[in-house]
Amino acid sequence: MMPVTSYLALGAILFSVGLYGVLTKRNAVVVLFCVELMLNAANINLVAFSKYGLYSNQTGQVFTLFTITIAAAEAAVGVAILFALYRNQNTVKVDRYNSLNG
Amino acid sequence: MEKYFLDYDWTVMAPELIILAAAALLSVIDLLLKEGGNRRLLGWISLAAVIGAGVVAAQQLGDPAYEILSDTYRVDDFARVFKLILLAGTGLILLGSFREMDREGKEARGEYIYLLLAALLGGMMLTSSADLITLFVGLELLSLASYILAGIRRKRTDSNEAAWKYVVMGGVSSAFILYGMSFVYGLTGTTNLYTAQQRLFEAYNSGYEPFVLLSLFLMLLGFAFKAASAPFHMWAPDVYQGAATPVTSFLAVVSKAAAFSLILRVLLGTYLFLLQAGPWQELVAPALLVIAAASMVIGNTAALRQTRTKRMMAYSSVAHAGYMLVPLAAVAGAMLFESTIYYLIAYLFMTLGAFTVLMVVERETGNEHLASFAGLSRRSPLAAAAMTVFLVSLAGIPITAGFFGKFYILIHAVTAREFWIAAVMLVTTVVSYFYYFGVIRMMYFRPPSDGKKVPIPAGAAVVILISLAGTLLLGFLPQWTLDFLGQMDWMSTLSPVRDTLGQ
Repeated sequence: MMPVTSYLALGAILFSVGLYGVLTKRNAVVVLFCVELMLNAANINLVAFSKYGLYSNQTGQVFTLFTITIAAAEAAVGVAILFALYRNQNTVKVDRYNSLNG
Repeated sequence: MEKYFLDYDWTVMAPELIILAAAALLSVIDLLLKEGGNRRLLGWISLAAVIGAGVVAAQQLGDPAYEILSDTYRVDDFARVFKLILLAGTGLILLGSFREMDREGKEARGEYIYLLLAALLGGMMLTSSADLITLFVGLELLSLASYILAGIRRKRTDSNEAAWKYVVMGGVSSAFILYGMSFVYGLTGTTNLYTAQQRLFEAYNSGYEPFVLLSLFLMLLGFAFKAASAPFHMWAPDVYQGAATPVTSFLAVVSKAAAFSLILRVLLGTYLFLLQAGPWQELVAPALLVIAAASMVIGNTAALRQTRTKRMMAYSSVAHAGYMLVPLAAVAGAMLFESTIYYLIAYLFMTLGAFTVLMVVERETGNEHLASFAGLSRRSPLAAAAMTVFLVSLAGIPITAGFFGKFYILIHAVTAREFWIAAVMLVTTVVSYFYYFGVIRMMYFRPPSDGKKVPIPAGAAVVILISLAGTLLLGFLPQWTLDFLGQMDWMSTLSPVRDTLGQ
């Protein structure tokens, strides 16, 4: 179980960095990057487990292919929405997107 | 015996295939139609596809569970009932929004329809997947289509902003779910939910206890996000307010039902062994109960001070997510599946009805402030009367669907001896009377700002009548639905299908 811990640590660090970024960054593009970091942290886990997991096999790598594709689609949708927002608001500062409130 | 592509009985997937074909066909037809032309045809095709898929799914009810594609895709009664709920919700939304989308999204009418079908397809895949990969793909198909739908009025800032908040929050919750799934895979080496259950049990007993729980709680966090239950509900009010009203009702009804099928499938299919192993009672049940109670308290109290009806309905849907989590949290009770599904059906009718009336009123007055309901009883007696029934049902007053929904959940909670959650539920229900009756007071006891009649488009009128009939029928004759749900084979949800090989 020794070799897998370093990969898991890397995954955990990436995940935490991503989460921290989503919660604190004020640039919308950076926020999207951070979401991608979180998704890729899970990918690192999956690939590490497919080599060093309790039952190591190829399924994890196949899973990773699916999640990479989905993450790309998610990024595309996110950027498209950001474009539309930028056209209307002329800013990428997240804290200026505050027209919705109760 | 190894089974190959064509050895499977593909007819079990017919509902999904119909929706898939319709969505693909519509996107091509939309390209061929000339720009700015009439898109009414697309609406009718999509409605026909949804009805066709619903009929096929209904005919398959009661058939034995069947797994195809190397046991990754599982069609059992649980999946079929959820599929019917999703199809009914989407069909009613399509029917009710024909006129609305003509006005709201002139340039995106075709996209609206086939994205709705794509989201529906994702939801249907979600309900019947028995594999982490299929589950994740279905979830993301639903989510990605919903993100675009939320921002479909792309010239409007509030719509864009809603879509932005939704895509960021949704992305984070997907990442949590995926991160949790990666640990499940790591401990079990499989992505099949049922095989994972056995191997997680072994892993749990051989010292990987923290990782088993970590995977569960990471996923639970993401699920709570998707179902819009507190404390992960922050996105719901903003997204519900900014999105076009038909899209809001889709998120409130179809998306939420799909999220609940996901929660039930994963928790019961993969983590039920924790019930024997112990930590369910010590950790999982309290966590679920706290989420449920927090949703009820936060949803119902935050709704009190809203002046916009869509925001109010968003908080109300947070509260309803709390009610629907109670059966799962008190898993030992008498009617786990029946009470959850009964509530989902009741919630479908009353919420869709309320949103359709809201859409009609919003269309007439141009905004969705509480004040635009003033004097609705004089401007449109039918709409006001129907809205009153829906709100009374949402509040859970007797002889409506909502009352029996809450009643069965209470019975379930009490038979599981979870008395405090039942008490929270009763108290918060009483709190919810204030804001639901606020709308009724507005409709009947406030003078209208102008005496103009509110016209109801034909499609919306049909949806209001169907929802009204559903709400009242479930309220007067709850036993029918309960007997019907009782005939389903729920227990097969808990165990893998053994006889798919070599039959």
